[in-house]
Amino acid sequence: MSALLAIEDLRVTFNTRYGQVTALDGVSLHVNAGETLGVVGESGCGKSITALATMGLIPMPPGRIAGGSIRLEGEELVGAAPARMRGLRGADIAMIFQEPMTSLNPVFTVGAQIAEAIMLHQKVSPDQAFKDAIALLDRVGIPSPDARARDYPHQLSGGMRQRVMIAMAVSCRPKVLIADEPTTALDVTVQAQIFDLLNEIQRDFGAAIILITHDMGAISEMADRVAVMYAGRVIEEAQADDVLDFPQHPYARGLIDCIPALGREDHALREIPGVVPPLHLLGAGCAFADRCEHTNARCKTEKPLLAAHGHHPAACHAVEEGRI
Amino acid sequence: MSTLLDVRDLTVRFAMPRKGLFGPRPWLEAVRKVSFSLEKGHALGIVGESGSGKTTTAMAAIRLTEAAGGQVLFEGDDLLSLSDEQMRAHRRDVQLIFQDPYSSLNPRARVADIVREPLDLMDIGTPDDRRARVEELFKLVGLRPDQLNLFPHQFSGGQRQRISIARALTTNPKLLVCDEPVSALDVAIQAQILNLLAKLKSELGLSYLFISHDLGVVRHVCDDVAVMYLGQIVEHASRTALFESPQHPYTQALLSAAPSLARRKSKGYVRPLKISGDPPSPINPPPGCAFAERCPRARDICRKTPPVLEDRGPGRVACHVPGPADA
Repeated sequence: MSALLAIEDLRVTFNTRYGQVTALDGVSLHVNAGETLGVVGESGCGKSITALATMGLIPMPPGRIAGGSIRLEGEELVGAAPARMRGLRGADIAMIFQEPMTSLNPVFTVGAQIAEAIMLHQKVSPDQAFKDAIALLDRVGIPSPDARARDYPHQLSGGMRQRVMIAMAVSCRPKVLIADEPTTALDVTVQAQIFDLLNEIQRDFGAAIILITHDMGAISEMADRVAVMYAGRVIEEAQADDVLDFPQHPYARGLIDCIPALGREDHALREIPGVVPPLHLLGAGCAFADRCEHTNARCKTEKPLLAAHGHHPAACHAVEEGRI
Repeated sequence: MSTLLDVRDLTVRFAMPRKGLFGPRPWLEAVRKVSFSLEKGHALGIVGESGSGKTTTAMAAIRLTEAAGGQVLFEGDDLLSLSDEQMRAHRRDVQLIFQDPYSSLNPRARVADIVREPLDLMDIGTPDDRRARVEELFKLVGLRPDQLNLFPHQFSGGQRQRISIARALTTNPKLLVCDEPVSALDVAIQAQILNLLAKLKSELGLSYLFISHDLGVVRHVCDDVAVMYLGQIVEHASRTALFESPQHPYTQALLSAAPSLARRKSKGYVRPLKISGDPPSPINPPPGCAFAERCPRARDICRKTPPVLEDRGPGRVACHVPGPADA
């Protein structure tokens, strides 16, 4: 079975004042219908750039898709005509952003904004679109949707705004829903509501969800499969349970051991020393080498490739050589 | 064990704009009669949703926000009744770490000056003593002496938070108020700061008032935990009691909402305890229990009479129908 959305060997570069930097260096990911793929990593690892590239939203210039392909049901999206991307965006692929307040237009009512999304992709009258918008607000669990549809974004709480974003995103029953840190700005209780809602929507619509997050707890509750990213590469990919229980790559191990998450209280917090290196300073070797305790000479000179050496695919020389 | 901080019936009110020229002035009670105490060398976590009054409580307790009533006994002295000058003298015992390490450091000052400033302001030691103290603090928080003359923008988020911690420790405080000290940091960096805070607590015998919305972080750092909802403490217990057997339905809901590595989608995990909606408005709080509208266990009495925070088993609970979640 071929995947609903398949990203292969995607390379994205940006022109910066440090010269050209490679933000994505051969990223391959896929997601099937009805499946949730979790993409996890620290800031600056390329998670959001992957999402933006899929949506055709990389600012060009300074950005450039230097290679690779993104296929939605077999259709190539890299280099697709802008008009075709506009037709797909919001209809077949939709995205929910981190900050709902900045993603909504403050001078239009939320009902009007959802109706606009509906009218862009479906041949319906404005009245019908507004009615659909109210039905969607009801569907995402907003109380008295009739009245709320006439509210402006600032009149809603953060959780409500994110529900509005979700209503807008699912208005055309997208095949792929990308959620980029959808709950980072929200309280845990509201986060739980949003996660439950995303799961319900997936059950109802059968959408594939790509959940971008830095929270392994969220991955545990939401994801079927996980891709761990570091410095523009996928460094580990497997079923969620495999990554959570048997992380291979030292970075994946570190990410799991460094969080004081509930459900594993009895361990000491392990630190990952240092920070993600700036992209323009990446050398020839493994990008994680400077922060890794298993680094040897080979790690500093040769980039490891994603391959199944141990339990599941990971890009690490130490795993390949059986040193960890 | 001696008590460092004893907060009694602390209340904070904010004036809201009048409705009309002669309308009555509405008041927002952000903190409503909150009482708790903190032992020396302990860390008390304050958790709750945004708007629950966590930060306001802590700020009022160290007199950075004006309290409308109550007492704050710091080693026996009521901070709220001290004169400004006496309070200034007490400031060296109470220091603060903020959430955002980007906006809480002066971008135009060298970090050595930032860390030394409390000593300058309180006129402690000779210039040489102060310089030595700054170097000592740099080592303590894991920074290098050759970084002393850099500016804040030359540091990463985690390093900046270390600078904030060094600055807070300059005057040898007894109490450190940490207001969401790791929530602006990347996950991998959080562990570095949490481990540093744990080390400082055991080495220097510091006490923490630790504000966080992240239950995992609180569980890692704190000895006791107080859960706040709409300006009141609804449950206060030791870490073990609160996390193992929470009594208040709101605490239970918070714990069930917090992501946990023990819950797996592959195992068909479905959240058992869902709470819907948002907290009520603090301007016009409901007559009964503030949580009644969202509570799965609410009875008639909950909507009419506010529950009182009472000793119950290992901790204190404010609920008419307390008990384990499945009751």
